[in-house]
Amino acid sequence: MADIKAPELTGEIITPKVTPGASKGIMPFKAKPELMEKVNFPAEKPSNWKELFLKKMEEILKKYRSVRVFLDECVRCGACTDKCHYFLSTGDPRNMPVHRQELMRSVYRKYFTTGGKLLGNLAGARELSDELLEEWLTYFYQCSECRRCSVFCPYGIDTAEITMAAREILDATGIGSKYNLEIINKAETIGNNLGMPGPALRNTLDFVEEEIEEKTGVPVKLPLDVEGADILLVTPSADFFAEPHVLSLEGYAKVFHQAGVNWTISSHASEGGNFGMFIGNYDHMKTINKRIWDAARDLKVKRVIAGECGHAWRVLYSFSNTLNGPFDFLDSQYRQPSHICEYTLDLIKKGAIKLDKAANDEFSVTFHDSCNVARASRMGETPGDQMTIPREIINACCNKFVDMADDTIGERTFCCGGGGGVLTDEMIDIRVKGAMPRMQALKRVKDSHDVNFFALICAICKAQFTKIFPIYGIEMEEVGGVHQLISNSIQLGAKEGV
Amino acid sequence: MGIIEYGDVKIELDDEGYLKNFDDWNEKMACGLAEHAGVDELSKERMEVIKFMRDYYRQYSAFPILNSVCRNIHQPKDCVNEDFVDPVVAWKIAGLPKPSEEVISYLKR
Repeated sequence: MADIKAPELTGEIITPKVTPGASKGIMPFKAKPELMEKVNFPAEKPSNWKELFLKKMEEILKKYRSVRVFLDECVRCGACTDKCHYFLSTGDPRNMPVHRQELMRSVYRKYFTTGGKLLGNLAGARELSDELLEEWLTYFYQCSECRRCSVFCPYGIDTAEITMAAREILDATGIGSKYNLEIINKAETIGNNLGMPGPALRNTLDFVEEEIEEKTGVPVKLPLDVEGADILLVTPSADFFAEPHVLSLEGYAKVFHQAGVNWTISSHASEGGNFGMFIGNYDHMKTINKRIWDAARDLKVKRVIAGECGHAWRVLYSFSNTLNGPFDFLDSQYRQPSHICEYTLDLIKKGAIKLDKAANDEFSVTFHDSCNVARASRMGETPGDQMTIPREIINACCNKFVDMADDTIGERTFCCGGGGGVLTDEMIDIRVKGAMPRMQALKRVKDSHDVNFFALICAICKAQFTKIFPIYGIEMEEVGGVHQLISNSIQLGAKEGV
Repeated sequence: MGIIEYGDVKIELDDEGYLKNFDDWNEKMACGLAEHAGVDELSKERMEVIKFMRDYYRQYSAFPILNSVCRNIHQPKDCVNEDFVDPVVAWKIAGLPKPSEEVISYLKR
């Protein structure tokens, strides 16, 4: 990665000069025919691809009224133009959300509106062509579905939904992203995105137990497939695999241990992530989500708790009930899955876990709101709790916390640059650039408050920043999870229970 | 990617540079794979990492958590990155099939 240069860190986010085609050519690797078939898409683009394309587009326009409304109602006011991290960092006008959507809107006019059918170019209509397909593959994968632009849209257009629809149309035309489809196939066949079978998972959990006991002297257990447990933890499989993710897993385990509850992980649903959402495919999203339902039912748990993963939380919290029906077999108090942050903060407030803030004194902490938590779901009782709960946890276990600038956090948070199905090597150039606005905001608090711990509640954010921090000249060890801070500070000992 | 040659050994790779047949592997082939990956020498420490990965894969069909590799072979905590820079390179030299895209995105630096 040595040849990739990061933008200079000045602390300022400046709207760039428009440079057409600046990020042309950056696109995902295409999935091979065997993989396409495995996930029920056409093996490759057939000679009649235009028919497939328009058939899928028509189906989406009928099925999702929202997409049609979004295509119709844009007045090109320009409010979104300077809100996308990929535009701010590349200057490519196709990364202005309105101009990205124009790739679909122009096709919509041509084939689905009277004006476009009659007047063609004059009405901004565009015919399908191979060139257009390449633009779709390029710019609908230079969108991380973060929805920051939607916050500023006076019409409430959800750009991510347009991107998802576009990816779904590409897949139906025989053009898929290798990265996303390989992961979907692993999740559906093995149970997690890593492709880690049950025995390997147990082996890993044994290792984590040993690590915790070695560090603390306390035998904290990480149970697997325990029938009758009270809580099923569903977390991104990254937590079972790499640092810093696994350090948050240690945190969850210590919280459950100290709460004295009977909890379990499931080998069948060993994945919180759901890449079906990233490609806008309802069937895959449903299939992956169903594993969690089946595991919760089979293990007869009372409650489902989600670990630190942004889009997993969105799917579980916002879509589960309509994908696979209500969680009516869970305890009546907990029919909605809870977030681990809600659970932990509740215990802190009840005094059921004790935290030693001094254990984190080496850290000056800031918190990055992850898109799918901040803008696409909720937590707690009142709107905005998904922003306050993680901060309350950090403040409960750390002495030094500072927020980044207001227009870069909360619902206006900037994407990490690697979300929404672009966390793959061939996209590294746009990932490094796309992180720029976030990195500038971080630079300011590093300068003003010596921030050296960047706290996260999303596996993709963690992986993205771990990789790009060194390119920006920052140690990757500064990236960590909120429950990593809990893990450092929680006082294990005589159980006080809940 | 086809066939690469190392001395008198022919090594057949898949189109992403992973050894085509896991069972073909031997230490000499590992040296060829290392040379192909730009790793200059397979020291004792590196060979221990590789052999552990092979044993682990044979038993669990998965990529092991990196710290557990180091613990098991009694090397320092960050041994795989220290020895190879990129753990996926170690995996390739061990002659193992391509891990999941997700594994790669969490590992490669």
